Order: sequence, then C-alpha cells, then structure tokens
Amino acid sequence: MAAPVASRRKQALPKGADPDAPLLVVENLATHFSLDGQTVRAVDGVSFTVRDGEALGLAGESGCGKTTTALSLLRLLPSNAKIVSGSVRLFGVDLVKKSERGLRRYRWREISIVFQGAMNALNPVRRIEEQIAEPIEVRLGVDGRSALSRAGELLELVGIPKRRGRAYPHELSGGMRQRAMIAMALACDPALIIGDEPTTALDVMVQAQILELLERLRRELGLSMILITHDLSVIAETCDRVLIMYAGRVAEEGDVGQVFRTPRHPYTQKLLSSFPNIRADRRTLEVIPGYPPDLRNPPAGCRFHPRCAFAMDVCRTVVPPDVTLDDGVRVACHLYPLGSDGTPITAIPADAIAKPPA
Amino acid sequence: MTGAILTPGQLRAERWRLRAAGLRSFVRRFASHPAGVVGVVIIIVFGVMAIAPSVLVGPFETPTRPSGLPFAPPSATHVLGADEQGRDVLNLVVHGARISLLVGLLASAITVLLGATVGIVAGFFGGRTDAILMRITDFFLILPTFVLALVLAPIIVDVFGVGTEFFGMRITLIAIILVIGVTSWASTARIIRSQALSVKERAFVDRARVIGAGSGRIMFNHILPNVMSLIVANTVLVIASSILTETTLSFVGLGDPQSPTWGTTLHYAQVTGAPGSGAWWYTAAPGVAIVLVVLAFTLIGNALDDTLNPKLSARK
Repeated sequence: MAAPVASRRKQALPKGADPDAPLLVVENLATHFSLDGQTVRAVDGVSFTVRDGEALGLAGESGCGKTTTALSLLRLLPSNAKIVSGSVRLFGVDLVKKSERGLRRYRWREISIVFQGAMNALNPVRRIEEQIAEPIEVRLGVDGRSALSRAGELLELVGIPKRRGRAYPHELSGGMRQRAMIAMALACDPALIIGDEPTTALDVMVQAQILELLERLRRELGLSMILITHDLSVIAETCDRVLIMYAGRVAEEGDVGQVFRTPRHPYTQKLLSSFPNIRADRRTLEVIPGYPPDLRNPPAGCRFHPRCAFAMDVCRTVVPPDVTLDDGVRVACHLYPLGSDGTPITAIPADAIAKPPA
Repeated sequence: MTGAILTPGQLRAERWRLRAAGLRSFVRRFASHPAGVVGVVIIIVFGVMAIAPSVLVGPFETPTRPSGLPFAPPSATHVLGADEQGRDVLNLVVHGARISLLVGLLASAITVLLGATVGIVAGFFGGRTDAILMRITDFFLILPTFVLALVLAPIIVDVFGVGTEFFGMRITLIAIILVIGVTSWASTARIIRSQALSVKERAFVDRARVIGAGSGRIMFNHILPNVMSLIVANTVLVIASSILTETTLSFVGLGDPQSPTWGTTLHYAQVTGAPGSGAWWYTAAPGVAIVLVVLAFTLIGNALDDTLNPKLSARK
C-alpha cells in the first residue's frame, strides 16, 4: 500500500481536514427526487466507507441508486433531487453541510469523476490537451502554459503520446478517449476518483486495457476509487471491496472475495447466478423474477421481499437491520439476525440456492 | 511522471512549430475548395482597390475636373466609359471599393457581435433571461430592415450634424453602418441561440460545471467554439447582405453624396437616365462589382464552413 494521502499529495489537504480520519465515510445518506409532486426515494439510507488506497465497487441493477449515490457525494444532482439526510465525510469534513461555494473546493480537486461515454463528456471542437488542462487552470489557478505541459504529462501517464494531445476527440479511438477522460480525472491529483461505468460501451479488449490502466494507476499513485458498474466481473477484477445495492439501500457489503464466494443476501446470490459462469452449464442462466420496485412507493419492510424466494412474514413489515458478520461482511437481511454467525436462520432447500460462480 | 522534459525554450519552439503546422493544414484544407479560392482571389483584388485606389487609377475625379466627355462610351483612355459629367467610371468604381467594403465589414462586425452575444447568453441561461432577450430579438426581427434604415439614417445624421466625423469617417457613413448593424443582428441571434440551446445540453457542459468552470468560462470556452462555424459562415453572409443594404440605401439617395460608393454611383446613373440613354457601362460597372464581391463572400463563407468544422473535415 502506498503512503497515506496526506504525505503522498503535493497539495495541502483542505481546511479543517483531519489527516488521520478515514478517506471517505458515508453515513445514512438519503437522496430523494421530487417527480410530479411525488417523492422518489432513489437513495435511502446508504452507509459505507472508502479507506485510503482502496477500490470500492458499487453494483446493482439499473435504477438501484448507484450513480445517484456517487453523484450525491459532490452534490452533482439534477435540480429536483435533494439530499434529505446523512453525512458524507471526506477527511472528516462533512460535505453535505458545505455551501455550494464551499463545495467547489472539493469538486474535481478532491473527488473527480470518469464519466460514462467519453465522447459526450469531451467538447468535440476543443483539443484534448486543452480540455485536460482546463481543471488544472480553473481549480488550481495554474497559468495556461504550465497547465498544458501538465496535461501532456498526464496523457503520457495514461498511455497516450503527448503529441496526440493536439487531436480533437473525434480523431481518437473510444479507448483513447476514455484514457483522456481518466487523465482529466487525475488532473488535480484528487483524493478519490469515481468511475461511473468507465468501461461500458467499450469493446472487451479495450475494456481490459482500461481496467489494466486503472489498476496500474492505483498501484503507482495509490489512488482510491469508487467504481460504479453493473458488470460484476469488472468489480471482481479491480476492486478490493464490493457494495451491492438494491432499490436505494445496501443489500450486502464486504471484501470482494468473501462476497463473491459466499454471497449471503438472497439478492446477491441471484445477481451472481444471473451472470454466465465459464464452468457452469451455459443454458441455465438464472433470472431474478419481477422488476425492481417503484421507488415512489417502495414495498414496506425489506424492499427485496416481493422477489425473494426466502421471504418470511417479518420481511414484509420490518426493515432488516445492517448486521456485520465475523468475516467483515455487512448484510441487511432477516435471514441473518444480529449476532448471526453467517448461516441463514431457517433451513433453506438446497436446490433453492444457486451455485455462485467460482 | 513520465515523458521527456523540455526546457521552456524548446517547449515554446515546439508550440510554434505545431501552430505553423496547424495553419498550413488549415490553408491546405481551405485550398481544397476551388470555389473558396476563387472567392479569396476576388476579395484580394477588391481589397487592393480599397487600400490603394490612387495607385491603380489615379486620384479620385471630382465633378469639377472630369477627364472625359459626358457619357463617353468605353474606349482606350476610359476603359469603362464616362459618367454624365465626363468622369471616368473605372475611377469611380475603384474608389468606391473602399467605402463599400468598409461599410460591409463594420456593419457585419456589429451584427455578429451583437447577434452572437445575445444568442449565446439567451440560449445558455434560458428561462427568464432567454424570454426577455428573445422578445427584444423578435421586435428587431419583424422590423423591416430597409424601412427602419430609411427612417433612422436621416435621424442619426441630424442628431450628430452633417459635417461630424468619427475616425475620419463622415457621419452619413457611420449612420449607415449603425443602421445596418442594429437592424440585422436579430436573425443571427436566433440562429446562434438555437445552436446554443442544443450545445448546452451536451454532457461536456455538465463536465465543465463539475470541474468548477463558471458560466462565463463555459459560454466562452465551450459554447462559443461549438457555434463558431455557424458564426463565421453567418458573418460572411452578413457582410454580403450589408454591402447590398448599403448599396440600396445609397441608391435611393440616403448615401453620402461626397463618398464614392457603388450604390451612390448607381444612384446617379439612375437619376441621370443612364440606362435609358444607352450608357450601359455606367450601371454595369458598379453593378458587376457588387455582384462579384457579394458572390465572393458567399463562396468564402461556404468554404470556411466546411474547413472550420473539425468534424466535417475529418470525413473528407
């Protein structure tokens, strides 16, 4: 593991920061959208921690609140969204309490984003190097020329020859554009990078290259990362820990190996078994019956109970508490009551549990 | 960080080298449009006339010192014949280039500056700003340029006094430039706004916001470059129409009688009955000059539109 952020970074930590505090602690975060007078509980009480140098994978179906959670960290939300409760502590500083102006100091300088679909996130009529230099100029107040030469260094770092910085986005391949986006995210030497589906819409070979690049950057720069994806294999490959979300809540969270080897939450089990397994019979890919719930009117109790094969009476009325098991995995399911040793409380028919992929 | 370390001197040299390469590639791409090249050649010819008319055809002939006979047809001494007072028509046309081009350029500068600013600001901010700016734009859009010009030109001259000069230009000219500028920016603003509306919804504008760029920076660095090809193409067309408006105003007698412009020349040709008396050279010479210049600007406009848009040029 690389040296801690405070000593590694060239820039000073923001004012009021505690160098000994964990990098990012999110507690009980809730972000609601108002839509035609109704409230959509997109994120409803999510807590997690990202330690320095760690990569956390955020997984779940479309619409389960992965991206909203990530964008809530910097309050980059549409105008009809509001953080209604919770805290986001970066180096111990609560970003939820910051004013819009105060938050600017953190945007891109402390937390930056690698957007999905690099073509759209790049201005088509400006040169790549100018766009990478922009945050350096705007956020760090560096003069134009130095910012451009720093942009050149960043391009080399992500494996694009400096000279190609003169190119326009359409002159680069999809993979190179994504690399350029990563270079832009690195521009201000941030404490945390959020990758919002950074490899979606890229072909498998390029995907592998981009993941390899992220992996290398993590090793060399000691980056901390939150990786949002619905591709569990990407998480398995790049992340240290995984957070499975369902309908705006955390279903299960823990070490990638632990969670993928022995998934506890029925949703995690279903999610894993709906992925093709190279060693299993390919014809019997499982699906999760039903649809994710309407978040304007989520089911009472456990939100997964209408689709859960093990649903009990208690699941329909009581919200399952977060239970941290002995192996550090946190799970929110009534099968695992407080003090559980990690085995479900009722006997589950052996054929009901899908075999997790190895 | 990896990458070769360059000294500041080397870095500067490298940048200049790349800039020169960029310019060369722009010229090469522009040159691949023959029509655009023809336009540039025509403008250069008229530009030389505008800059140094006396070198080409001698000093401007006044009615008191004509060099030929009234309505003299084209001959070896007067290639384009003479006007009703015996002045050489070639002399008049060449001396008219300066004012005509100047009026066209300045009027379109006002038009585009006003139109692009209003368009980008309205499109980017939207909401109330957009509504207010667009109502003002609509007001100017429905005003008939020519009628307003007819009314405004004499008023402006009156307010400042006939003899007033700004930067060596007579007030009548300034009035014409202002009138054209003020009456024709509205359509430019509408065009730019519609494009700005679409550009501001693109993801890179959000990204710029996340980075922390302010509204001014986003408009200048992100929206403007994206509407630039539209602005350039529009400018060149506005130059053409400004020259035409100037011609028309002068033709109906609102020009500056003491500045030789193509419109003024046409005005006198009409007043003295040149077309009826067979003196075709008197109307044809300034007429052809106007058509050539307007055509040239239009050709350049189209070629620039192709060249400046990096996406279009990539497809070739």
